[in-house]
Amino acid sequence: MAVLTVKDLCKTFGAGTARSNRVLDHISFDVRGQTFVSIVGPSGCGKSTLLNIISGVEDHTSGHISVTGDSGSPARLGYVFQDPRLLPWRSVRKNMLYVQDSADEAAGTRVDRYLDMVGLSKHGDFFPGQLSGGMQQRVGIARAFAVEPDLLIMDEPFSHLDAITARGLRAQLQEIWSHSKKTVVFVTHDVVEAVELSDRIIVLQPGGKIFEDIEIDLPRPRRQSDPAVATLQAEVLARLENMKALTPTVASAV
Amino acid sequence: MTQTVTRRRSAEEMAGDAPAWRGRLTSNPAARSTFYVAAFLTWLLLAALFERIPGPASVVDRLIEEFRRGEVFGNFADTFYRFSIGVALSVVAGILIGVLIGLSPMARAFLESPVMVGLSIPAIMWAFLTVMWFGFGHMSPIVTTFLTAVPFVILNVAQGVQGVSRDLRDMSSSYGIPLTRRVRDLVLPAVSGYVLAGVRFAVIMGWNGVLLAEWFGGSGGAGYRARYWYDANQFAGFAAWVVLFVGVIIVLDQLVFEKASRRAFRWRDQTH
Repeated sequence: MAVLTVKDLCKTFGAGTARSNRVLDHISFDVRGQTFVSIVGPSGCGKSTLLNIISGVEDHTSGHISVTGDSGSPARLGYVFQDPRLLPWRSVRKNMLYVQDSADEAAGTRVDRYLDMVGLSKHGDFFPGQLSGGMQQRVGIARAFAVEPDLLIMDEPFSHLDAITARGLRAQLQEIWSHSKKTVVFVTHDVVEAVELSDRIIVLQPGGKIFEDIEIDLPRPRRQSDPAVATLQAEVLARLENMKALTPTVASAV
Repeated sequence: MTQTVTRRRSAEEMAGDAPAWRGRLTSNPAARSTFYVAAFLTWLLLAALFERIPGPASVVDRLIEEFRRGEVFGNFADTFYRFSIGVALSVVAGILIGVLIGLSPMARAFLESPVMVGLSIPAIMWAFLTVMWFGFGHMSPIVTTFLTAVPFVILNVAQGVQGVSRDLRDMSSSYGIPLTRRVRDLVLPAVSGYVLAGVRFAVIMGWNGVLLAEWFGGSGGAGYRARYWYDANQFAGFAAWVVLFVGVIIVLDQLVFEKASRRAFRWRDQTH
């Protein structure tokens, strides 16, 4: 598990130029322990940029961000992207080994275990091109879990999948997460998905400010058909409608 | 106008209708064979029409004569020695410089112009220059081969490196993959097609280079021997060596590069 601390974080693309564009504006929040946090908001509000900054792929302009393991050591990160991002010339198993520490002798066993957990134990020698989109995304999820990350970052991992495949993968994700005790930061534009999965929902508004930080206190495992889940989904959607009214530049909140 | 659509037939049904001989005649091997037969017939026709074009029979006679005299293996050994060193050096240097240009904008700014200059200089110019610089012997054909081939490898590899998927690079960064593993497991496999294309060019251009250098300044070698027959006004002998040059390139391309290409890209053929 990890401790993620974000304080007064700003990100401006093209800072100091005529085309300067601020996408994150003094964001502050903490995430610690086995918590599943979703970040929702309309397109262009800086969700993916925030994840890229957390993962170190992008630099921030100002403010403070730190990700540490429970003991204060640097945190190990796992990242699940919108698309699977697999190396097409490496087999499924070798793709998972690619992100493992090459000196880690237990990596192979771990890779096999997570492949088994996502139901792909027989597909380890397949090339990604031989798998369907849903299966490739399962490899992406297994790859991220197999590095045993302190913090798992997920950027709209089910947005490119059909509804049935996405529902199956969400159930699988809840199952794996409940066993693995990870800290998860999950970006989605789907409020229904966020309520089903999360302990907390951080709502970003256009311009990159936090509009609301909502606790989701419902028992797990959750199903969309549960009345309590459905009620809360409606409530969160109503709050987003409220945001839309308060910030009229939002074309579509979700 | 309206189009009437009846039941569409499947590929299997249509394939079942066609006689087997039609499938064989329209296959890739058939197209390849047709070209060789057409080229041979054209050669026969031209030889019959023009006195200064030797026909296949006289060229084959001369070839047999060259083999019998022991000229072929010795001269080809010389040429291959020079060619192999020149091409090997150009591939190693080309990959290193190409990766550097692909990864570093500063290296690109520094090296782009010299590479373009190298590309624009024909092999014949390098052959003249190296004969002037190094005289007769091995050095001139080796350097000509290298200088002719290396810009093609550099250009192809650099383009390949610049085209490596941004998404895959970001994925590697987010997982903190060390640079050496990133180059080995991401960059090199991603550019392998470009490397193969570059090496293929290098072989063809290098072959031109080595033969030209031997023609103008060689003491032995296939190019030197072709010039011997040219100077002797014996066109059948000259044509016999041209047939050997072409044959070597075809054999190299089909046996080495086709196989290497199929092996390197076997993952592409296995799609869902």
